[in-house]
Amino acid sequence: MNASTLSAPRAWARPWLGYDERSALLFVLPFATVLFAVAVFPIVYSFYISLYSLRLTRPNRVPFVWFDNYANVLSDPQFWAAVERTVTFSVMAVVATAVLGLLIALLLNEEFPGRRVLSALLLIPWAIPSVANGLMWKWIYDSNYGALNGALFQLGFIDSYMVWLGDADKTLALIANAFVWKEVPLAAILLLVGLKAIPADLYAAAKVDGADALRRFFHVTLPALGPTFALVIVYETMIAIRHFDLFFLLTEGGPGDASHVVAWRIYVETFRNLSFGTGAAMSYILALATLALSYVVIRALGRRL
Amino acid sequence: MARRSTVTRRSFLQNSAAGIAAAAITGSAGRALAADPLYFATWSAAVDTVKSHLAAFESKTGLKVEYSNSPWAQFRETMVTKFIGKAPIDTLWVSDSWLPEWAEAGWIEPVDQYKSLTAYNSDVDKFCVDSMSYNGKQYGITYYTDFMGFIYNAEILDKAGIKAPPQSWDEVTEQSKIIKDKGLSQSPMLLALAQETWLIEFLAAMIYSQGGRFTDDKGMAVMQDGKNGAAAALRWIVDAVQKHKIVSPSCVETGELAALKSFSSGQHAFALMPKFRLRTLNDPKQSQVAGKTRIALMPKGENGSHATVGWMRFYGMTPRAQGDATRAANTVKLMEWFGGKADGQYTFQKLLFKDIGAGFGVKSLFQDPEMRKLYAEYGDVELIGQQQSLARKKDVITPWFGEWNDVNGSAFQQAILGKVTPEQALKTSGDKWNALKKQS
Repeated sequence: MNASTLSAPRAWARPWLGYDERSALLFVLPFATVLFAVAVFPIVYSFYISLYSLRLTRPNRVPFVWFDNYANVLSDPQFWAAVERTVTFSVMAVVATAVLGLLIALLLNEEFPGRRVLSALLLIPWAIPSVANGLMWKWIYDSNYGALNGALFQLGFIDSYMVWLGDADKTLALIANAFVWKEVPLAAILLLVGLKAIPADLYAAAKVDGADALRRFFHVTLPALGPTFALVIVYETMIAIRHFDLFFLLTEGGPGDASHVVAWRIYVETFRNLSFGTGAAMSYILALATLALSYVVIRALGRRL
Repeated sequence: MARRSTVTRRSFLQNSAAGIAAAAITGSAGRALAADPLYFATWSAAVDTVKSHLAAFESKTGLKVEYSNSPWAQFRETMVTKFIGKAPIDTLWVSDSWLPEWAEAGWIEPVDQYKSLTAYNSDVDKFCVDSMSYNGKQYGITYYTDFMGFIYNAEILDKAGIKAPPQSWDEVTEQSKIIKDKGLSQSPMLLALAQETWLIEFLAAMIYSQGGRFTDDKGMAVMQDGKNGAAAALRWIVDAVQKHKIVSPSCVETGELAALKSFSSGQHAFALMPKFRLRTLNDPKQSQVAGKTRIALMPKGENGSHATVGWMRFYGMTPRAQGDATRAANTVKLMEWFGGKADGQYTFQKLLFKDIGAGFGVKSLFQDPEMRKLYAEYGDVELIGQQQSLARKKDVITPWFGEWNDVNGSAFQQAILGKVTPEQALKTSGDKWNALKKQS
């Protein structure tokens, strides 16, 4: 036994963490506790619930059903019809948001009088609370006293008031329009930031090479905007797929089942039918689908994101 | 030299302990004196009226009542979570739509053994007693009831040269066409068929008046039977929207409240409307058709009658209240004070009628001079009484009602929009009913 062995503290007596680590842990602990209570625990618990046939109105019969809730949801044709509507809505909403956002960003990237005022005005729809936005569009679309009918009638485009949200063929497009109106400002601002970050010498070099404005847009602007564009697409897709507010406020899933999207079905199953097991299973399916889709979009559009 | 006051550690601890003990004893005595009040929950309607009647109850009986209320829109969900969380509730307002669900879950208990409550049955419309009964047991005492009424704008009928309101659905079509042809209204008949809680009442009223039903006495779906009045009712609506164009296709996005506003603006000649809306429609401060809005008997179908649908709300009693004989007796007193007679009169029902125009299921109140006078201000009391006597409970109220109701409402709307035939819609509804019944 040498001296160094004798002087070293025994392994069990050595503190597991040093003073600095323990201090850091102490500071992080309150936040970590809150985070665990409000985020981690609910997520884990909702998964646990999704494995039970839990219906609040049947409190004495809550069997463990493994993945039956998931199987039932995935084998329900109504669910797949809702998925189809969700995809239709999301494609309309995201494409329109991205295209309009890009056009507005390109406009605001140019120097012209009133550009700053226009930029400020652009943010108004985004700043309006979602519920207020929904109620506003409900008034606009109303078939009896709505502003849309009033304007079209007075401008002579229609002879009599038309049915808007009550027409199953138009419902999703009209809701998507209300969604786009609110979401375009954010997309435009994000894309504008992306445009500002493109180095000017890239455009100068393209000009020297004889590229006209259209070529510069397709060969310089769009590739350089890739990561920002991917961010906008991913963010808006995630918002659109899970969107609920407008469906609740404008149509309550109707007319018929024309606006029964997945988020609406989750609401009905969970909060109307009080079937928490099925509702949790649907929520997990939606969350996983959103995650997968986001991953695919990021891979496809913006490897540098 | 002044003597220095010293507090030793021992004396400090002794005094603190004594203080804490005294506070605990006083506190528990206080709680005992407050003597475990009765817990009473309602939705947020006529809150001041409830409070004043409650104060009178407390003053008369010396009992303490903890009153709480929450919005109607979330009341069911609120109560369900309270029941599950074992929150103290002794008596509460219950909608007839929730009875099977709550009774099956054991959240409310039958009251058949309390004769002071069931004694009122003889003075109450039959559909009210039916609506608060489940599996042969009665679960409460009613305090409010109403029915779906057929109302019309007498001025528009006068202008159209129509002498009397329609007696049948065919006459509704004919008169509506006359009114439309004369340019008096674009959509003479107003229906509110949006997907909301009122939808089942609107549909049931039309089906009952066509002599139909959703289910038979055994609870099996009959709505899909082509000879049933359900098919006739849906066909009438579809034709009215698509063929005759006397009902706006926007009916599928029109809720009950929007319909009230629309009718009160004078745009329509006829409407189905909860009867209590008559008061608002004939109030000049709230309506442009005040003094012109009348009620008629529900038009009847080819094989139907003037029947309509009625609904009611009642005081239910929880297992907590029945768990203790004294608490049960006190809860019964409270329920009777509100749902039955207080000091020999149906005081609360009268207060509620005066306050918000809420209807009552007590037959004798139709003979009360004060109530008749109030009713006469905006409606034909005889006709209202007659129509109420023809009201029937909803025959779809089961533990799975909510789940079926979503599918049924959606199916009806799709037929109205022409996406499916009435027969297909009713088959969807019937199949869903039978599947849910089988699952249960």
